[in-house]
Amino acid sequence: MNLSFIREKKISLPLITIIIALVLPHILGSNLYFLTVLNLMLIFIIYASAWNFLTFSGQGSLGHAAFFGMGGYFSSLIAIKAGVPLIIAIIAGAGLTSVIGVLIGMTCVRLREWFLAMVTFGFAVIIQTIVVISQLNPITGGWDGYAVPKLIPLSIPGSQMIEYYCILIIAIGSILLFQFLLKSKTGLALAAIRENEMEAKASGINPVPFKLFAFGISSFITAIAGALEVAHFGYISPEIFGTDISFWPIIYSITGGLGTLAGPVVGTVVISLLWEGLNALGLTYERFIVIGVLLILTIIFLPKGLVSLPDAIKNLKKDGK
Amino acid sequence: MDGNFEIIAQVLFWGIYSGCIYILLATGLNLIFGVMKIVNFAHGEFLMLGTYITFFLFIMSGFNPYVLLCASIPLLVVIGIIVERLCFRPILGTGKLNEIFVSIGLIYIIQNLVARIWTDEWKTIQSPYRDITLDLGVIYVPLDYLIIMAVTAILLIGLYLFLHKTWIGTAIRATSQDRAGAMLMGINVERMDMITFGIGAALAGAAGTLWAVSGQVFNPYMGSIPAIKAFAIIILGGLGSIPGAIIGGLAVGLVENGAAYTLGGAWKDAVSFILLIIVLIIRPTGLFGEDEE
Repeated sequence: MNLSFIREKKISLPLITIIIALVLPHILGSNLYFLTVLNLMLIFIIYASAWNFLTFSGQGSLGHAAFFGMGGYFSSLIAIKAGVPLIIAIIAGAGLTSVIGVLIGMTCVRLREWFLAMVTFGFAVIIQTIVVISQLNPITGGWDGYAVPKLIPLSIPGSQMIEYYCILIIAIGSILLFQFLLKSKTGLALAAIRENEMEAKASGINPVPFKLFAFGISSFITAIAGALEVAHFGYISPEIFGTDISFWPIIYSITGGLGTLAGPVVGTVVISLLWEGLNALGLTYERFIVIGVLLILTIIFLPKGLVSLPDAIKNLKKDGK
Repeated sequence: MDGNFEIIAQVLFWGIYSGCIYILLATGLNLIFGVMKIVNFAHGEFLMLGTYITFFLFIMSGFNPYVLLCASIPLLVVIGIIVERLCFRPILGTGKLNEIFVSIGLIYIIQNLVARIWTDEWKTIQSPYRDITLDLGVIYVPLDYLIIMAVTAILLIGLYLFLHKTWIGTAIRATSQDRAGAMLMGINVERMDMITFGIGAALAGAAGTLWAVSGQVFNPYMGSIPAIKAFAIIILGGLGSIPGAIIGGLAVGLVENGAAYTLGGAWKDAVSFILLIIVLIIRPTGLFGEDEE
């Protein structure tokens, strides 16, 4: 396929993606299964992009489910207990989560990679424990969880379709936010810290506020994704803090391309389609194995992810000639 | 007062017993870290493989499960070497985040291979000594737990002798102290990587056999939490320090069982992370860690 017309105008690729995203639900019709897959895909694009933003500051978290789950719990509890509209509850819940995110970040900023991975993983376990302890059961429902108001009530005709466009707007908005942040001075400082913290310090950048900022923004957007997910399912339980939920954004971002804006988007789309395809074939356990193998192969042979695949092929052809 | 003392003794005993599993895991992790300077988050999957190999051979042969250590250890050495060769050697020196990400891939592959073969239901095996308890004066203890402690001690002494009395062990220690220097002395450091990874995996596999023998249930996903705790232990005890792993393993075993007794079972997993986080807030490089690597 000749893609050169896209490469001549760099801007058009994201634009084409957005146009496809806009018309896709109409092409697929009102099939509920496809709409659910698309909705979840968008939610995980938001989530993976938020996780990826934290790695721009050189911090790889293994426990982002903590923020994802807190976003779900805070937003739904605020909506239920205070009776405010869900959209306000989501923003308030995400704000609360990002405060906790910055507090967690404060324990992490001085740590090396593995220690940080451990501590973030630990926080996911600790927060899950706090949610299920018996003293909080009247509020959280313990392991059973509780029902959550839907983003768009099912009584409205075409609610799934409206929900899709709402989430799409939030997804585009958050990616634009990351784009803006990375192009700004803050983004440059984050890159400097990631590449060499000592040199960044030497050139007058204090890494701590920047790393905390990255934690705050990343946990805020992650919490929004979490709130959207529980609002989509209409249900929340402590399983939301599970290891799988922490690992998915990592898998998506790496296979797509770590440290690029397009990476999490490409990775989420490719892996979730693969996942659904393997699921349709009835390969319950094998799909995990396929994705694990794919992840390791990507890290070893395509360290910049699927977004670098066209360049890699081009280089290969050049070498061949 | 008398009853209290009995309970404390019981909690202590349980702590030492669960500490044994952690010690074996953490010692393996530390050995691998010392030589290769990598951290394998999928270490718990070797523990899980150990339990399933024991389970499978026990069902097939009906041998005394303790004898099956002779099978699970060599098998895990081979599996460890394969994993090192295929997954970790290609990314050696390409950035520390990559090691974490490769481990995540490994976790998915190993867990689901096992689930594919043996399903993901909880399984358990029965030790031939399960009904025997010994009266230690203060408390009654199952014979199995005493054997497990003894086996752990024997394995650790064996490891010590291997590292200090054999040529390969000396070469492993040399590589761990100074990789470039060891290379100049004619040591094949990549071979040492492979052997070390194999031994680390085998220690985890032995822990798996002991886990199964003690009558605890297991499923393909049981490895993650013990492994993460073992990782917390080596941060507490100092990266690369084997005595640190032993002391840290006992400490986490004791704290965990103490917390489960005083705060309730739900806190069992969280408390070791709280301990870890407190330590890292005070000392970001770990209790006995060096300031910079």
